[in-house]
Amino acid sequence: MERVARIAPSIGAAAAVILAVGLYLGLVAAPPDAVMGELQRIMYLHVPSIVTAYLAFTVVFCASMLYLWKRDLRFDAVAVSSAEIGVVFTGITLATGSIWGKPTWGVWWTWDARLTLTAILFTIYVGYLMLRAFAEDPRAAARYGAVLAIIGFLDIPLNHFAVYWWRTLHQPSSLLRAGGPSVARAMLVPLLVNMLGLMLLYAYFLVRRVQLERVRHRILEGRLRRGRRG
Amino acid sequence: MGSWGFIGLAYGVAAVAILTFFVLLRRRLRGAAEELAALERDGGRRTP
Repeated sequence: MERVARIAPSIGAAAAVILAVGLYLGLVAAPPDAVMGELQRIMYLHVPSIVTAYLAFTVVFCASMLYLWKRDLRFDAVAVSSAEIGVVFTGITLATGSIWGKPTWGVWWTWDARLTLTAILFTIYVGYLMLRAFAEDPRAAARYGAVLAIIGFLDIPLNHFAVYWWRTLHQPSSLLRAGGPSVARAMLVPLLVNMLGLMLLYAYFLVRRVQLERVRHRILEGRLRRGRRG
Repeated sequence: MGSWGFIGLAYGVAAVAILTFFVLLRRRLRGAAEELAALERDGGRRTP
């Protein structure tokens, strides 16, 4: 972990550079959409945000499974850290989607299956963080949290396929779909660059957040030792 | 509000969210590191 923490500034710097390039490509270089015009540029932020959130919650799911199996708090530290970052990116997805929805659909919000399931995803992981904050024993927090995270993860495939299973206002996936992306190359490149940038930013945040969790564990151990010594 | 207004709002909201998380994370890390250092100093004084 120490070795990873040492390269964290490089990961952060790489994320900043790639995001700057992605912003230029998305806001300046990419052509406007034939139907939506300039508004479609919100896609270069909206789609990478939800893909990064999916990545974050997948890490939470894997780390939670590993915690329940090995009962090692290091896995729990990764799970809680990744959940917090996932909530931030899901929040960004909801906000940018709503801002995109207003001029496109005429409303800030509608109870469409995709939107509702994304809001549920956000609520599940906010609930996960609250549950952990209220549990006094770290091992109990880790155990309850892991169970909730594993159940909550089921919302992701449901959310992804919602646009195919139900009639929704939200368009079907144009990136993660059978047969490959349906996006034109001039739009696909900025999308992928921004996705890489946000994933690197996620990696940077994860390393730093896990660092914080480890320091908190050491503080707790220190307090317990002091308590035992009287 | 025109198209660019909505685009600016979307990117602005995202930038504020990311920067706020970044600043708060740094502040929490610094606070925790200071607390740990104080705890270790105290522990060191108590150890004979």
